Amino acid sequence: MAVTIDARGLSCPQPVLATLKEIKSGSDPEMVILVDTDTSKENVSRAVVSQGCTVKEVQSDTEGYKIYVTRE
Amino acid sequence: MTMTWLSHLKSKLKDWTGRGENLARVDRGILIFENTSEVIRAENRLKAAACEVRVMGPPPEIQRGCDLVIEVPLMQHLEIWRLLKDAGVPPLEMVPVTGPLLAPVDLFQTVDYGDHLMVRAANMKICIEKATQTIVNISGGGCPDVPYLAWQMVGKTLREAPRPRDIGHTLCGYALELAYEEMMRQCSAS
Repeated sequence: MAVTIDARGLSCPQPVLATLKEIKSGSDPEMVILVDTDTSKENVSRAVVSQGCTVKEVQSDTEGYKIYVTRE
Repeated sequence: MTMTWLSHLKSKLKDWTGRGENLARVDRGILIFENTSEVIRAENRLKAAACEVRVMGPPPEIQRGCDLVIEVPLMQHLEIWRLLKDAGVPPLEMVPVTGPLLAPVDLFQTVDYGDHLMVRAANMKICIEKATQTIVNISGGGCPDVPYLAWQMVGKTLREAPRPRDIGHTLCGYALELAYEEMMRQCSAS
């Protein structure tokens, strides 16, 4: 079961900071980050890659994006 | 009587300050360039030559080319022109300053998120992890080079990362450089 980080409604850089916090303190091998803007999607994707994680998939729906990330 | 005297004083003061502004500005000119990338290169070249210059926003009546100009001492404009021509960034035009110039980026905002610190300059933000000074986020703008700037800088420390002034080509790149400089200043002070 992947941990979910709901960063919808947060402005930059808070979605990135919430994601980095989970990467550093959490232990789940998989994460789902919910964001609601293109900018947040790009910033979070870039941040997780810079931390050695992988963006497995990005799904878009009416509420924004779901970014599926796996920890290396 | 008192009101009349006060009005007269205010009027004289206004005249005097107005004249003062004009006097202060007649010795300045602005260099206009084709694009922001050239402004950034020209500023770097002139500062390296210890010229006293400032990057500013143009007054509305001369807005053409890009949205930044370089304010220079009028007395030195021939020397500066030659310097820039030799550097491959000749200005489009030099005009004397007759109106107020707009500061393109003169407002910084800093937000402390605990483990992270963000500095914003105009429309651009840079955020670092305090402990390592690693850049964790670059955002803002809307200029075409922002994703490139972010990919080049995120994940690197402030000292390892390339300078926005060297790799940026837009007003966003320029604003990010100012945010970067302010972040460096704050990190050096702490």
